Amino acid sequence: MTENKNSQKDISCKEVMHHICENLGEDLDSPKCVLIKRHLDNCESCQSYFHTVESTIKFYKEYNVKISNDAHSRLLDVLGLKDD
Amino acid sequence: MTESELIALAQKGDRKALTELVKKYEQTIYNFAFKICRDKEKAEHTMQETFLSMVKSLYQFSGKSKLSTWLYTVVSNHCLMLARANKKHTFASLDDDDAYIRDVSVEDWKIIPEKVAENNELKEALDKAVEKLPPDYRIVFMLRDVEGLSTEETGKVMNLSVPAIKSRLHRARAFLRNELNETLRT
Repeated sequence: MTENKNSQKDISCKEVMHHICENLGEDLDSPKCVLIKRHLDNCESCQSYFHTVESTIKFYKEYNVKISNDAHSRLLDVLGLKDD
Repeated sequence: MTESELIALAQKGDRKALTELVKKYEQTIYNFAFKICRDKEKAEHTMQETFLSMVKSLYQFSGKSKLSTWLYTVVSNHCLMLARANKKHTFASLDDDDAYIRDVSVEDWKIIPEKVAENNELKEALDKAVEKLPPDYRIVFMLRDVEGLSTEETGKVMNLSVPAIKSRLHRARAFLRNELNETLRT
């Protein structure tokens, strides 16, 4: 967070963080978005916040488990579809 | 053969078509159930229950929504039931999002692992963080951000309004980032 810059940015870091969590890259045409973008261009702390929220989502997207052959067979068995 | 044709055949009792539908969605449903339960055994049980429901109710499926959305609804309900049955587990209270969004300096994470699958420490941190989320927040986050459903679709699956979905998503994102920050900032 860069000290003394907030007064020039018209919007607080906390508001920006809330906006990031609410919208991420969406809602780019809203009037508030202009202020958010301006703030983000000048605030390393909020840029970091944005990156870490994005990384959080990316990590959960990449953490996948594959169904095992045994689990697949048991499923078809339970459904009575094993011979099909 | 298109999915609609497979559904129509399965509704008439065609077992091959039904098997095709199961095979098409089993990986998605198993993976989603694991993302909610964080336990392979529970994920398998939930997947089986979901497809049993599908087989039982497929004749009612009108095709107005996507089959995937319908399956997400069924699997989400099974996950919620399972979580509610486990009364011993306590979840974080997300009523006060100021607890997770603080006006303090934020640093980028020093370690950004390229491959989550190969990083057991990160996987453990991801499991621990999400297990603290109340189930409805967890499902909203997974449906919207991880599975990529729209806010409206997520609302239909969860039977919640769009503002209710947005509120849960906002808090879940902030909470999970905050929890992972403890592990990844150093």
